[in-house]
Order: sequence, then C-alpha cells, then structure tokens
Amino acid sequence: MEDSYHITGYAEHFGTWVSLILLTFMTVFISVFGADLNTLTVATALFIASVKALVVAYYFMHLKYDPKIYRIMILIVMSMFVIFLIMLIFDYLTR
Amino acid sequence: MEHSFSLPNSGHNYDAKASKLGMWLFLYTELLLFGGLFMVYMVYRALNPDAFLIASFNLNVWLGTINTVVLLTSSMTVAMSITAIQKGNSKLSLILLALTVAAAVIFLVIKYFEWGAKIEHGFWPGMDHFTNLPFGEQLYFYLYFFMTGLHGLHVVVGMVFILIVMKKIKNGSQNKNKNQLLENSGLYWHLVDLIWIYLFPLFYLIH
Amino acid sequence: MTGTSASQPSYLDVTKGLFSWIFTLDHKRIGLLYLYTVGSFFLVGVILGVIMRLELFNPGADIIEAQTYNQVFTLHGVIMVFLFIIPSIPAVFGNFFLPIMLGTDDVAFPRINLMSWWLYVIGAIFALGTLIFGDGPADTGWTFYAPYSVKTGTNVSMTVLAAFVLGFSSILTGLNFIVTIHRLRAPGMGFNDMPLFSWALYATSWIQLLATPIIGITLLMILAERVLGIGLFDPAIGGDPILYQHLFWIYSHPAVYIMALPAMGIVSEIIPTFSQRTIFGYKAIAYSSMGIALVGYFVWGHHMFTSGMSGPSAWIFSLLTFFVAIPTSIKVFNWLATLYKGSIDIEVPLLYALAFIFNFLIGGLTGLVVGALAADVHLHDTYFVVGHFHYVMLGGTGFAFIGGLHYWFPKMWGKMYNKAVAKLAFAIIFIGLNILYFPMLILGVMGMPRRYYDYLPEFHTLNQVSTVGSWIMVTGLIIMLVNLFIAHRKGKKAPDNPWNGITLEWQTKSPPPLYNFDKMPKLAKGGPYNYPNAKNS
Repeated sequence: MEDSYHITGYAEHFGTWVSLILLTFMTVFISVFGADLNTLTVATALFIASVKALVVAYYFMHLKYDPKIYRIMILIVMSMFVIFLIMLIFDYLTR
Repeated sequence: MEHSFSLPNSGHNYDAKASKLGMWLFLYTELLLFGGLFMVYMVYRALNPDAFLIASFNLNVWLGTINTVVLLTSSMTVAMSITAIQKGNSKLSLILLALTVAAAVIFLVIKYFEWGAKIEHGFWPGMDHFTNLPFGEQLYFYLYFFMTGLHGLHVVVGMVFILIVMKKIKNGSQNKNKNQLLENSGLYWHLVDLIWIYLFPLFYLIH
Repeated sequence: MTGTSASQPSYLDVTKGLFSWIFTLDHKRIGLLYLYTVGSFFLVGVILGVIMRLELFNPGADIIEAQTYNQVFTLHGVIMVFLFIIPSIPAVFGNFFLPIMLGTDDVAFPRINLMSWWLYVIGAIFALGTLIFGDGPADTGWTFYAPYSVKTGTNVSMTVLAAFVLGFSSILTGLNFIVTIHRLRAPGMGFNDMPLFSWALYATSWIQLLATPIIGITLLMILAERVLGIGLFDPAIGGDPILYQHLFWIYSHPAVYIMALPAMGIVSEIIPTFSQRTIFGYKAIAYSSMGIALVGYFVWGHHMFTSGMSGPSAWIFSLLTFFVAIPTSIKVFNWLATLYKGSIDIEVPLLYALAFIFNFLIGGLTGLVVGALAADVHLHDTYFVVGHFHYVMLGGTGFAFIGGLHYWFPKMWGKMYNKAVAKLAFAIIFIGLNILYFPMLILGVMGMPRRYYDYLPEFHTLNQVSTVGSWIMVTGLIIMLVNLFIAHRKGKKAPDNPWNGITLEWQTKSPPPLYNFDKMPKLAKGGPYNYPNAKNS
C-alpha cells in the first residue's frame, strides 16, 4: 500500500468507550427522570443517539483517519436518507 | 492459473483498500435496510404517539441499558483487537475478539429473556393479548419484534464473522501485514452497535 | 497455460464443460451466463405480452379469463422488471465490458460476482415456482400494492421472496462495479478518462446499492404481514397502504434509472464510434448521469398523485420530476451534437442508437405529461401510462440492449453477423414497436383503463392495431435472434476492431483472452473518444 495506515492506541479506544457510556447514561437519565420534557425528549434522545453514532463511526470505525472520500460518501448516504425521511413525513404532516 | 502477462491493476491481486471500500458499501445497504424500517417507525409513531408511549412501558429500560453497555463494550474490544494485530500481538487480538463474542452472547441471552417475557405475556403478533391491543400498540410491538429481531440476526451474523476471523488469526492468514478481514468484521460489528444505538432510545426511552 | 502471450486462448476456449461455466469466476463468462438467462426470461416475458395482446384483440374474454389475465400481466411485469430489464445491461454488458473498458482483467470481487448470478438464478426459480406451488402466480401487478397483496389468495409470498433475492443479486453487482471503478482503472486513467458506459454504470451502481435495500425490507414486511397477520399496511387493522406505496416507489422510481442509465451509456458509446468523432460534452454526459441518479431519488411521489397523498407533497414531487428532464435532455443534445459533422457510418448498432433517441423522446415527453400533476389525474392508470413506460423500457432500454448486442457481438464471440438481415430485423422491430405502443397512448387519452382483460367497444380498432403491431415486432425479434444465432454458429470471423472504435475493448482480440489483454492497453491521448483522424469542426 502506498501510504502507511494509522494505528489507533488502546487508550484512545478506552476514552471513546467512556464517552459513549456517559452519553448512554445521560440519555437514559433524561428519559426516565426528565419525563416532563415531552416531545423534546424524542429530539434529545435522537440527538444524543446521533452523537453516539458519530463517535462510533469516527473513532471505532476509523473514519477520522480514513481518506476523505469515506466521509463524503457516508455523508451523502445519510443526507439522502434524511431527505427521504423528511419528504415522507412531510406528506403525513400536510394531509 | 499461470499466464505470461499480468496487469498491474489486476482484479486478482490482494487489495485491502478494495475490500474495505466494498465493506463500507455493504454497510450502506445495511443502513438503508434498517432505514426503511425507521421510516415506517417514524410514520406510525407520528400517527400514534400515545399508543407508542403506552406500549413502551412494557419494556424494561434497565435491561435495554445493560445491553447497550454490553454492545458498546464489545465495540471497544473489537476495535482494540485491530490495534493489537496491527502492533503484531495476535494473542491479545484473539483474547479481545473472544471477549467480543462473549459480549455478543450476553446480549443475545438478555434479548432472549426480554423476548421470552413478552411472549409469555402474549405480546407476540397473533396471540390473544396482542390482538386485543389497540392498533397503535400492535404496530409498536410488531415493529419492536421485527426490528430487534432483524438486529439480533445481525448480531448472530457478526458473531459468526468474528469467529471465522479468529480461526484465520490462529492459523496465521490474518496477521500484522494482512488484516483487512478482521477490520471488515470490526466494521460490521460496529454497524450492529450503531443500529442498536438508535433502536434503544426509539423503543425503550419513549417517556 | 504457459505459452507466449500471442497464443493465449480466448476466454471461450480455456476450459470446457458445463461446470467451467456455471462456476466460472471470469467476468466475461458471467456476463454471458447473464445474457443467456436474462435473454430467456425476456422471451418468456414477450410470450406473456403477446398472450395479453391476443386477449385484447377483441373485447370480452376470448382466450383467457379475467383472473388468468391478472396473473399473466403480473408475471409479465415481474419477469420483465426484475428478471430482464434491471439486470439486463449492467449484468450482461457491464460484467463483460466494464473491466475491459477500464483496462483490467476482472471485477474487484470475482466470487461475489458469481454469487450474484446464482442469487439471480435462485430468485428466478422462486418467481417461476409460483406457477407450480401455491394457488398460482400473484395477481397483484408487479407493484404488490397493499392491502390487496396481503389479502389475495394467490402466491404473493413466493413472488415477493423472489423479488427480495433478485434485489440482493442486484446490490452485489452494483457494489462490485463501484469498487472496480474506484480501484482497478488502468494506470493513468482518471475518472474523467473513463468511457461513458463506465460512468453510466457507476451512477447505476449507486442506485442499485442505495435504493434496493429499501424495497428489500418493504417486501419482507409484506411477507411478515401475510404470515403473521399484522396491519402494517392494511387500513382495516390500523395500517396505512399509502406508506407501502411510498416505500415501494422510493426504490422503484430510482429503479427506472437502473434501467435507463446504462442504456444511455451504451448509446454514448455507439454514437462517437460510428461518427468517428469525439463525444460532444464528455463531462456533461458523465455528470448528467450522476445528476439523473441523484434527482431520481427524490421524485418517487409522482407515481402516487392519485393515491391520497397530501396536496403540497404532490406538487413538490411534480416539480422535482421536471428537474429530471434537464440532465436527460443534456444527453440527447450532446448525442445530436456529436453526430453533427461526424463521418457517420450507418451500421446496425447506430440504427438502434438513433431509434433509442427517437423512442426515448416519445417515452420521455409522455413521461413529462404524466409527471405534470393536473394531467396525471386524468391519465393515471390508463393505457397512456402503459404506452409511456413501454416506450421508455422497450423502445429505450430494450433497443439499447439489442444495439449493444450488435455493437459488441463481434467482440464477444469473434464472429460477425449478416448486416443486411440485421438491418431488416431492426426496421421490422422498430415499425412493430411503434404500431404496438403508439395506439396505447391514444387509447389512454381516450380513457381506456389499464390492467383489464376487457374494454368498451369504442376502443376496438386501436386495440386491434396494437395487437397487429405486437405480431410485427415479434417477427422482427425472431429474425434478429435467428440471425445472431446463425452468426454465433457459423458466422464469418470478425476482426479485432470492426467498427474502428478506440475504447479499450477494441484493443484486445476478438474474442478476448482469459485475462483480457496480452499486453498493456494504450489509453487514447486526450480522452477516451479522441479519434485521431476526426474532422475538427
């Protein structure tokens, strides 16, 4: 291979894990004990889930150290999915 | 097969980058496979917000949380096993992969008890209790079983994938210099984790 | 096989026997396997189509009953869509020529390539198995619209399973092509030096990859609903049938571009070769493929204008639909500009390419008519729609497929067909096609609904004209097939480069050796269509 790859250290993986666990407890805590936030909880839960997903993809799945094309592709795929979702929900909201 | 002339860009060469790209493309299809289900979930949740809320009370948040932690931990161990093999430490890599498989088993066992409890109470589609539920709650449980079931299937596939890689590490065909298969199994495993990250709040944390 | 490079046997001769074919890892052989299977299903589909046209020759049930008719048009649709047109060009010519055009010796994952053909075969067995198992083939139409598909007694489950497996096969083909294009281009060949057929396949592959999973999961849901009896899409028990339509068309509209884009790719190959001239607007054609692929994802709602979708949604989808016309017409104008002042050689492939433009123009413009919200309310579910998409599918993709077959036939088998007979067959097919489908457009405007075995007496004449057209077209198809078959058996030996093409497939032998090239292929200076002795206008 023309370029050497990056080896992620054990400590970095462990740090990633700690942050993911913290986020998990945060989302559970908000949901179980902050129940009066109503619809906001859905948004917060999804927001935290997305942060977690990003952390997993960036550090565990190595996206951070991969060539840029991988980040571009996943960005396109995810934004397409989000547009699908918006166009679909739009139909239901405007009926 | 021998042949006298061989192209530098031959499709028969070992190409770790191609196999990584292929794996990512496959992951996109997996994301969209679950994406379709998320769309259905979103629409029905928007149409039946209260029923989804009431139905979600039947799930055990703590079991869900434990499973989340289990999967996140297994994600870490599989990522570390890649670090280990890249540093040439096959033995550590194997231990970490064994831990990953153990975590997968724990996840499935917990899932088994969760499903078992639901089915015991008649929430499986077609059972008496299920048929008496309001439509919205029926949809919730249908989606719950469908999505966690499909996810569980992916856990099993990921586990088998990792076991195969473990065998290859043992016989030396995955090593310090050639470890794309391990990386791909890791990517797949992270995807399983990634999907669970969304399933967990969508089913357990409606409050 | 240690001989000198000059004596390398062709891919057809390296090994013999059935197993050397059905378990081959060679992309060219897999392409041919696809050609034989896809071609057979095309013929089955044609036969079913002819049966329908015969039934419609006179009003009333003549040769088949209403229920049989429903099953026949469903099977016709399922076979033509999933077994013929979606795999057709990518799986046959894509497999065969993409690696050669890129100057490599195989696709990135040969074993996955073989697996995708086997999945195709398994899917085909499921689709045809409905003839034997259960209560007959599905009668839902190829769209499997819920809630009817959930309730009908016919064997929808197996058909749906077939479509699921075939979708998986299609995904694997797409995945393979994307990686091949990214990783295996000849040294020095950038993305913008690729032949346009590769660009078209690249765009197609992304659609196959990203749209197919959605229908996969949707069909699984239909299956689960049939087995478990949940009201996921059945309004009687809490579901929403329009949601099914959304999910179905999120795949199936982009699928239309899985069918059309590779066809445009073939036309973009044929036209510069036979006008011996650099393609006009290379980048515009290449990027418009990507543009069509992208915009094509967001127009699915135009299949649902009359379904009960919300008004604002409907007009947004209608508006977006018109944007697809822009990249499409960019291509058409570029093709015409390429022909302008070229040294045109009227050979059979070029005739098919020109007919493609003609047919596609009718298909495309009628597509805009049904894409317009107000007109669609009137024309939806009439024969206008049937005429429209057959112009696009058969008149467009089908013609490009046959054109590609004539273009690459000498390369694939090293034999040349009888050109005069091929031209005659072309003329008959072209005339037959227009007599067959143009009356449908008129019938649709008159208000004849689609998917019935029967019609009102005032539609009689035009239906008879259309049926006669089907006979003419089938005659042409038979002449074409017999001509190619004879050429395959005892045709004259074809030269390596019969059309003076300069893309890489013409640099190797006809038929190519197992690893495609005996020596390093030379890229044309200044782009893949830079003909050395072209007149510069």
